[in-house]
Amino acid sequence: MADVDDASRPAPADRVAADSGAPESGTAPAGAQEPRARQGAEPGAAPALAPEPAAAVAAAPVLARGQLHPAILLLQLFTVLRGLFLPVLLGVWVAPWFLAVAGLLLLVQMGAALLRFVTLEYALTADELRVRDGLLHRQERRIPLDRVQDLGFESSLLRRALGLVVVQVETASGKGVEVRLDALGTAAAEHLRAVLLAARDRGAAAPPAAAADARPTDAPAAPQVLQWLVHRTSATALWWRGVTDLRLSAFLVLGFSALELADRLGLRGSVRGVVRGASDWLGRLPPLVLATVLVLALVVVLGFGVVTSTCSSFVQFFGFELWLSGDVLQRRYGLLTTRQKVLPRVRIQRVALEQTWLRWLAGLAVVKADSAGGSRAEGEDQASGFDVVVPLAELQATMALLPALLPGFEREVLVYRSGSPRLVARTALQGVVLASVLAALLVPGLGPAGWFAFTLVPVSGLLGVLVYRKLGYALGDAHVALRQGVFGLFHTFVPTAKIQAVVVRQGPFEQCFGLASLAVHVAGGASTTLPHLLLADARALAAELAQRAAVAAAADW
Amino acid sequence: MPSASTPVPVPSERLRPAVVWWWWCTEGVVAMVMVGLAFWLLRPWLAEHWSAWSPGLDLALRAALGVWLLANLLAPPLQYVRWRFCYDGDLLVLRHGVLFVAERIVPVRRMQHVDLLRGPVERLFGLATLVVHTAGDDGATFRVPGLAVARAQELRDRILEARGDGRR
Repeated sequence: MADVDDASRPAPADRVAADSGAPESGTAPAGAQEPRARQGAEPGAAPALAPEPAAAVAAAPVLARGQLHPAILLLQLFTVLRGLFLPVLLGVWVAPWFLAVAGLLLLVQMGAALLRFVTLEYALTADELRVRDGLLHRQERRIPLDRVQDLGFESSLLRRALGLVVVQVETASGKGVEVRLDALGTAAAEHLRAVLLAARDRGAAAPPAAAADARPTDAPAAPQVLQWLVHRTSATALWWRGVTDLRLSAFLVLGFSALELADRLGLRGSVRGVVRGASDWLGRLPPLVLATVLVLALVVVLGFGVVTSTCSSFVQFFGFELWLSGDVLQRRYGLLTTRQKVLPRVRIQRVALEQTWLRWLAGLAVVKADSAGGSRAEGEDQASGFDVVVPLAELQATMALLPALLPGFEREVLVYRSGSPRLVARTALQGVVLASVLAALLVPGLGPAGWFAFTLVPVSGLLGVLVYRKLGYALGDAHVALRQGVFGLFHTFVPTAKIQAVVVRQGPFEQCFGLASLAVHVAGGASTTLPHLLLADARALAAELAQRAAVAAAADW
Repeated sequence: MPSASTPVPVPSERLRPAVVWWWWCTEGVVAMVMVGLAFWLLRPWLAEHWSAWSPGLDLALRAALGVWLLANLLAPPLQYVRWRFCYDGDLLVLRHGVLFVAERIVPVRRMQHVDLLRGPVERLFGLATLVVHTAGDDGATFRVPGLAVARAQELRDRILEARGDGRR
């Protein structure tokens, strides 16, 4: 697969020579301009092929070089001082030697920061990014540009005030962030990104092997970069995101940690006393008043949850914009910490539309994209919105912007087939077995009450019906689609050309009913499982997908 | 270059019969040791320290241990009987499993690298395991155990050849 593993590109030096022979007009390093301005200007400027902006400096081996921004020292001084607050306080009030410790800490930490600032330098050449740092333990990292997957910008409130931005370089290695430059000046960072993207795009367009990836082979050497706004999340949508984000689990965690804290502080006894007193008090209330009190408490808790999740939704995704420029998706978002993330479209392995039950009722969906080496496996997506492509929009709107994420999706005709109705019998049988085991364990201990375990059987049957109602899968020309859910609804779309392997599985219950599930593996992230198919259907689909993947792999190579 | 119309080959090649001995020597021996520990150490310990211990429970534990041991001893030959694989130049197809059946299809051009594993016990029986890694995260490795060494090397070479590594 060309985008994950290709050690054998033609020598980059050839490309540089070929490119510098192309007609050039601008001589200034174009990366120094604001990238938005460059991209906005180009479509109007050029029926003639616009020369690749960075070609002007391609003859020089180093396209951009630089160091961290000096203001980072100020920021780190601030951070260190904040950390020294407690030792200094102790030094003043308890024992003076804490002051000495604080001074030592200050020296060591600022020394380390200064050392990093002095020694770190980065250099971008036509085919790789070099980052060098360290004094005693010197290290130099070299990252080939065609491996750079994502170049993210992140800037907290303080950094923004100082005009700083953290640059994160991600590769397809699956490790997430490979290099973190904390922090560069805004202008230097923009320059770096413009030059890097230009150099990489030229690299990707040059060798014919890689050209088969996504763009037509007869594309001109300097592709015309169009940029348009695919999606902008409105404040209303963010508000809805908060309202429909019922995270009761967060409250459980909060409650547990509060209890834990009380325990640490030795307050456990008094907490128990308070709880017992409260329950006594509640027990004495008349039932109607009790119900009212409980409902009020629930409303307060839910209201608090809605307010916090709305706030976090606004802080995280305020002003979310999704742009498509050429083949690269860009996201900009954030209220306090602003983020800019770049996601090349060819790296997208899977797109998911997620509707939890409240959002399903409201007809709203979140769009997420898995990319090769993306961090979904590291569980980052919820925490940082890492691969959220659309924070929330109406289902129809999210469906409409799928072609922007999956090239060629606009030509797809997806006819969904439902799963096999036998799955209801299967889940019911599972319920019978589970209930029997439970009853065998419970009846000797609890007596006849243990037989209540068998209420599991109708429950699991009902669950099967719910699953069957929404389950559907479809095979289009270039994508396989899955639709499933019990209370919510989840759509998944996988480009068949990205498939790494397919696995048909049958557990014991499935063998009883001739059912099977089909797992579709793509690079990075978890596999997509199409459950509850008839064995024959699953096999046929697996064979078809494997053949297509083989054809696509042969074309990539 | 394959076309999408060619059917996926039906796996027909079997493992070496010696793989049964290998599985017995590894998983079988582990199971025997565990069952032995449970039988001679856990049972007396429970009888001494657990007030609710009864002959009925003892019988149940013995039965469970017996079933487990039997399952572990029967598994290798059953697995061997069900294992099939094939490689046709584009696709590596594996089909195996008794209780949990899996049929895996890997387009070999998609994979990241190939390993040949030979543990000490495997070497004793002249066996090798072929491991194919793809770029996925979970379940992204595909193993073919119990190959004759020469056959394993041949498969690896053919896979690398189809992948085109030696080409440029």
